[in-house]
Amino acid sequence: MSAPRDNIVTRSLAQIGDCGLFLLQILAAIPRSLRHTRETVRQLWFVGAMSLIIIMVCGLFVGMVLGLQLYDVLSIFGGTSATGTVVAIAIYRELGPVVTALLFAGRAGTSVTAEIGLMRATDQIAAMEMMAVDPIAYVAVPRFLAGVIAMPLLCCVFCALGIFGGHLVGVNWLGIDNGTFWSNMTATVDLAKDVINGVLWKSVVFGVVVSLIAVFQGYTTPPTSEGVAYATTRTVVASSIAILALDFVLTAFLM
Amino acid sequence: MTDSVRAKPDDSTIVRVRGLTTVLNGKTIFDALDLDIPRGKVTAIMGPSGTGKTTLLKHITGQMRGQSGEVWVDGRNVSALRRDQLFELRERIGYLFQNSALLTDFDVFENVAFPLRQHTELPEVLIRNIVLTKLQAVGLRGAARLLPTELSGGMARRVALARAIVFDPMLILYDEPFVGLDPIALNQVLKLIRTLNETLGITSVLVAHELAAVQQVADHVYLIANGKVVAQGDPKLIAGDGSPWTRQFFGGEADGPVPFQYPAGDYAASLGFKGGA
Repeated sequence: MSAPRDNIVTRSLAQIGDCGLFLLQILAAIPRSLRHTRETVRQLWFVGAMSLIIIMVCGLFVGMVLGLQLYDVLSIFGGTSATGTVVAIAIYRELGPVVTALLFAGRAGTSVTAEIGLMRATDQIAAMEMMAVDPIAYVAVPRFLAGVIAMPLLCCVFCALGIFGGHLVGVNWLGIDNGTFWSNMTATVDLAKDVINGVLWKSVVFGVVVSLIAVFQGYTTPPTSEGVAYATTRTVVASSIAILALDFVLTAFLM
Repeated sequence: MTDSVRAKPDDSTIVRVRGLTTVLNGKTIFDALDLDIPRGKVTAIMGPSGTGKTTLLKHITGQMRGQSGEVWVDGRNVSALRRDQLFELRERIGYLFQNSALLTDFDVFENVAFPLRQHTELPEVLIRNIVLTKLQAVGLRGAARLLPTELSGGMARRVALARAIVFDPMLILYDEPFVGLDPIALNQVLKLIRTLNETLGITSVLVAHELAAVQQVADHVYLIANGKVVAQGDPKLIAGDGSPWTRQFFGGEADGPVPFQYPAGDYAASLGFKGGA
């Protein structure tokens, strides 16, 4: 029995519940979708490779601005040699996974929602059902898996470009010693605590959440142009809130 | 398989609807509807807009289920089928959507090949030959590499038709197949429906409004209104059966048992005239 959805609180709770049930449907359909590997690879290209440019450019500039700001602050205490360390920790622990996920939600999440929503509006989902093709296995799962796989990879690229940006500003522009920059960074950054916990776990969780929200919003959108527009907006809003809230929870658990 | 799912098939009837009652958003679409679709024939479903013709097709394919009643397709109770059983049944049913519903990521060839690729392990050469044969039948072999966005409405409908028949199904459901077709394409589609019926023995169910086209192709016609079958019979004779339903529908009259106006308050009062009730 569906719950009465007469106010924003019950509507939101009901939607979270529906989203959870949809995740179970997706997980159950993963074995059936293995025969659609080609579609998953195609989606990986679409949501992953096609997001590379924005991730790389943003990663570079985030690293550069971080290097600039930290150099400015650390120079007050005569600690500019720690610039590389702080840039790396900030990027690995927080900015890498969070900014990548926010950018991914804006670039790939919205397009996935709009694409699935339009497929529903133009009866393509119904046509698949009529051709005895399970749309969850053919449409939802490949896009979900592609997002989950792409996010950690994109996060690695973001982090690499971020560190490079920090190095560019700190070493090449502001004159920090190259050896000091790298040696301080490698001595302080911990593989398990900073890289595995930050880059890997956080980005996998964000990948699951953003992909689930994007696919769910597209799949359940009313089949109208207004419905697709609202669903696309909801993907960005819900993903952004979920990313930042989960970031706090994950940080608390992983520290 | 339980008895509620499979009954002894009645060879002369491929679709049997019994006591189907469907209420959508408080509106009764079907009120204990009874209807039989004979096997190997072309049957047309006609009726005023909003009377539930497409909804009936959705019931036949198990996309929708009614509040009560049963729909039997090829001896199987559709409302009692599990999802995998429903998919198994749908593999033997072709469905032509009103808006074609072509997959926009694929070109014409891949759209027609889609069901074959999903359900068979046929070699590429065979898939190619089957697809080109179906496209030739609808006159679009030359358009095999066009994208759906490059097709006119009529061409898209013919591609969707090629896709619907790619498996040579036992039953094809056509939802408004004649809309948007020019006279040449219309004539070819009519011939194709008839040919499929006569050469392969495929049962066809058409939802249509064009009596002239229906008279050319259908063996039997049902007129549905107010949730029930209000007239049925030979398409060439039904328009002249004298009932108020057929007189209004086929004569295109605003006055009759089917109200042209959606229920509303007093017209003069709506316009703000004092004389309004």
